[in-house]
Amino acid sequence: MTSDAALDPYTPGISRRGLLRWGALGGGSLALGGPLAACAGPTGLPGPGTLTLGLTRSLVSLDNKLNQFDAAVTVQRAVRQALTTLGPGLKPRLVLADRFEMTEPTAWTVRLRKGVRYADGSPVTVEDVDTALRMYGKVNGSFLLGLFPELPEVEKTADARTFRLRTERPVPILDRLMANIHITPADANKPEELQSGLGSGPYRVARANSGAGEYTLARNPRYWGPKPPLETVRVRYVPEESSRVVALRSGELDVVDTLSPDAAEQLTGLPGVSLERGDGVRVCQLFYNFRKPKNHPLSDPRVRQALAYAIDGEALLRDVLADSASPLRGVVPTNLDGAVETGSFTHDPARARALLRRHGADNLRLTFMWESGEFAGDASVMEAVADMLGDVGVRVTLKQFQPGGDILKWRQGRGGDWDVIGNGFPSPTGLALTCLQGMYAGTAEKERTREAFMGYVFPKIADGIEEASVEVDDAERQRKLAAVQKAIWDTWPALWGFVPKTLLARRGRVRDVGLLPTNSYDLTAVHLEG
Amino acid sequence: MPTYLLRRLGQSVLTVFLTLTAVFLLVRLAPGDPAAAYAAPTASAEELVRIRGQFGLDRPLLVQYGIYLRDLVSGDLGTSYSFHSPAFDVVMDRLPYTITLAVSAIAVTVLVAVPLGVWMARRADTRRELGANILTITGQSMPDFWTGVMLLTGFAVVIPVLPASGFTSWGGLVLPTITVAILQFALVSRLVRREMTTALAAPYTTVARSRGVAERALVWRYALGNSAVPLVTAVGTRFAALLNGVVVVEVVFAWPGVGSLVVRALETRDYPLIQATVLITASLAILVQLLVDLLYPLLDPRVRLGKAA
Amino acid sequence: MTTAGIPTARTGGRPSAVTARDLARATATRRRSANRVKLWAGSVCTALVVLPILLAQLLPLPDANDQELGARRLPPLTEGHLFGTDQLGRDLLSRVLHGGQVSLTVGVLAVVVSGLIGIAAGAAAGYFGGWMDAVVSRVLEAQLALPLLMMLLLVVALFGSSVTVITAVIAVAQWPEVARLTRSLVLVEREKPYVAAARVLGLRGLTILARHVVPNVVRPVSLVVLLLLAQAVLLESALSYLGAGPERPFATWGRIISDGQDYLTTSWWLITLPGLVIALLVVGVNLLGDALRDGGGRTSRTKAAKADGGTA
Repeated sequence: MTSDAALDPYTPGISRRGLLRWGALGGGSLALGGPLAACAGPTGLPGPGTLTLGLTRSLVSLDNKLNQFDAAVTVQRAVRQALTTLGPGLKPRLVLADRFEMTEPTAWTVRLRKGVRYADGSPVTVEDVDTALRMYGKVNGSFLLGLFPELPEVEKTADARTFRLRTERPVPILDRLMANIHITPADANKPEELQSGLGSGPYRVARANSGAGEYTLARNPRYWGPKPPLETVRVRYVPEESSRVVALRSGELDVVDTLSPDAAEQLTGLPGVSLERGDGVRVCQLFYNFRKPKNHPLSDPRVRQALAYAIDGEALLRDVLADSASPLRGVVPTNLDGAVETGSFTHDPARARALLRRHGADNLRLTFMWESGEFAGDASVMEAVADMLGDVGVRVTLKQFQPGGDILKWRQGRGGDWDVIGNGFPSPTGLALTCLQGMYAGTAEKERTREAFMGYVFPKIADGIEEASVEVDDAERQRKLAAVQKAIWDTWPALWGFVPKTLLARRGRVRDVGLLPTNSYDLTAVHLEG
Repeated sequence: MPTYLLRRLGQSVLTVFLTLTAVFLLVRLAPGDPAAAYAAPTASAEELVRIRGQFGLDRPLLVQYGIYLRDLVSGDLGTSYSFHSPAFDVVMDRLPYTITLAVSAIAVTVLVAVPLGVWMARRADTRRELGANILTITGQSMPDFWTGVMLLTGFAVVIPVLPASGFTSWGGLVLPTITVAILQFALVSRLVRREMTTALAAPYTTVARSRGVAERALVWRYALGNSAVPLVTAVGTRFAALLNGVVVVEVVFAWPGVGSLVVRALETRDYPLIQATVLITASLAILVQLLVDLLYPLLDPRVRLGKAA
Repeated sequence: MTTAGIPTARTGGRPSAVTARDLARATATRRRSANRVKLWAGSVCTALVVLPILLAQLLPLPDANDQELGARRLPPLTEGHLFGTDQLGRDLLSRVLHGGQVSLTVGVLAVVVSGLIGIAAGAAAGYFGGWMDAVVSRVLEAQLALPLLMMLLLVVALFGSSVTVITAVIAVAQWPEVARLTRSLVLVEREKPYVAAARVLGLRGLTILARHVVPNVVRPVSLVVLLLLAQAVLLESALSYLGAGPERPFATWGRIISDGQDYLTTSWWLITLPGLVIALLVVGVNLLGDALRDGGGRTSRTKAAKADGGTA
């Protein structure tokens, strides 16, 4: 490959693809050679300097405007960087910036690190940050955008590297939020998912097949920071869990993430395979439908509480989830910044039965729904819960949606009647506030367009969350957050809940995978042994 | 001949067109909202409306259909929602894998099933033939996902000699190929056996034998040559079917082909991608059928295309 | 290929040189015995699966949906679980049998429906020809070109995954085979003298087709339909495997396997045993169908010939 090709990694890929295309149409011979052009060796095992990752979901591009899932972040950050990142303990760390401070309630002063540059050698500028923010703002349907109460404006200062991020109202968590805005050269940035891969990260894209979700990353020779230990990183998309488990066993893959409890169980104790697990930032709940008519038993918090007594959470965690989840002791995962313990779910079927009878809710018939893949082991959990409720005389119908189906319509109460939904909600910022805002801050106004999360509308709670979100004083904010979480718990929003652990399995030769609660890790820290 | 070709092409275009129309309607009538699958779960209703507008899904069905056909004529298959790039490119990224698997599965099928069929014809109605027959039927009777998982367990877990998933080395081709081929053995070998039994009993074989033609030439050149037309038809049809995606086998082996792409496109309600996949694979399948038809005169000089049989 | 010699001398009491040994070695005999083997093997395999499925309610088995989280994933032959238990501690044998009831019902219904559609469409196309033939043939061709499984997934997504929908979908997937066969048989039948006679008698086309032609092709077609049953069972399990099975907690074969696949390396029985049961049934039905088609067709023809000879 020429040096030009090295600068723009996508050009050779496209021309080869074009060739392949005709080969594919023309006959088998060319096509046969095609996919294998990207091969390592005859055995399929990765070479000594190559790390191979097996992702659960297809990485369709290395941009994160629309394509944000945990493991993708790992790869995306290796190519493109943000001003900050979330490090261990979910604390913000500086990356492209070497200063990021709140200097006024509504303004943060940021200075770009000296010498930061892209893989083509051009410097990272304030203009790039400004453009990036505007481009993220123009994308429809972005998950990241939803995390921002408002997008900040870039204000330039006399110094070429220093600028201010200004907002209308205080955003005390801006340093964490900006970790999601990846910086690309201004003239190459567009209000859409970028298909080209120029960034300032330690790796550059050597080969990409976004259709198949396969990428090869090579060390960026002009990286501004310390040289990363790995020479090459290969990314593959292996959707079936059983295939990923087998491929890890045989050494075809070095790291597989987002494992299900069962896969973890299968891999435990195998020679050459190590597991890493940690608390996650996602909360999974069997959330009640808050759009039931006033006279429906489920509209009574006492009934909601009574039903919760029927669930043997311990057995579910131990037997169905194979100890790969922690019990939920609050309304959001308690390891999030600002989260507090508010209570716990207890198993007491006799009490459940008695309470249900007392509140006139015996012979309940409930419909549970969920989408396949909402959380690991979803179908088993739902089937087990249905069985437990059956033991206290509640008849449960299960409705499983396939991905891409109509669950959104049902969630909004437009598809049909339901009572409990199995749902997962992540907090990629590591903040309790993100979860609280997403789930419990429903207002009557939002509910008009059916946007309140499962119809959960409690004006006092919504106000409490709103107040906490603009509180600049740290201690005061924590106090307000704690109070509102207690109030939420008392409304019994969920039948049961748990916090899935992040589970990752790696080959023994892979070292220092610092798996974060956000289920991603820093590729530059990873190295290979032997 | 040219008129025949033109008529066949016309029919093929009509078939593809009907197929596309059916798919166009089906995907839009099916429940599920591409905007909801595209956007974050936290997206507002207003945002979903904007996304639907961006995809052009807010227009009447007929208008959408018109725009789709217009773009199709100018060679534009639309932009995949989930891949954020032209649907054609996404399918083409994956097509080589599907073609590779189809070619290798058909090659293995022919290499195994044809000699097996010939052998069965020559040992017609013996116990051994019955055994072979039952064996191939068994192969055909196993659910393909199960065969795949069993092979996976056998040769990637218990005796880890072959890669389990994807196509990163030639070894990765072995298990999916076998899984697909096992399903085809019965069909092809029985066809060969039937044709060969007839051919070997035909008068011309007796004549040839009496004139001292070697047995080997008799079987492989004369008899098999005369069975070529039905054999090529059957193999061609199977090949065309494989091009349409061996969905299940691709899912089991994480094979990055068109079949697993279709499953994904369905899950994200990626209309342009579904339509592009169907268009490209259906066209290819029909093209293969057409090529098979055109081969007939070469295989059997008695066949004249375009003349009613 | 004939093995019978020329009768040169009378040996024993038989008026022919063909000995019993010759007869036993004759192609026709061997073919008949091969058919008998297939028939037997097929019946045994089918019965081995179908009988327990039909009797599932009477057998002393735990309920298919009875969970016991403490007894999950027990290997076969432990604590009275012949096939072991699944990931929620349910008896696997019971689930396989009850799942089989769903799968078999779907298969049988689908085959009946596809048989009816196929015979109707094929007969009409073959008998009337013209535009009707053109339409049917074009639709048949289009369906061949379609990615079948994908279309099925799409339709199941469209109408929801109930037993009815899945049955209908499989029926639609299978009618072309029946239609094609019926059409070719009717094409032959149409030219026979009895049809001409009926026409001369002034019977209407539809009446001739329904009363006289179709009864003559139903038998060979119905034999092929048995082979379709095997395919229907496989198709149903593939659909369930890909997630488009009937609502939970209905156990179907494909779903049991797809749920069990996550336990591939630790609990082999969760996929091996249900898969074996499917394979056994489908092998059985295939062999049975094969034997009936090869053997049954011939005997019926000879019977028909005898009957003709008797009246002549």
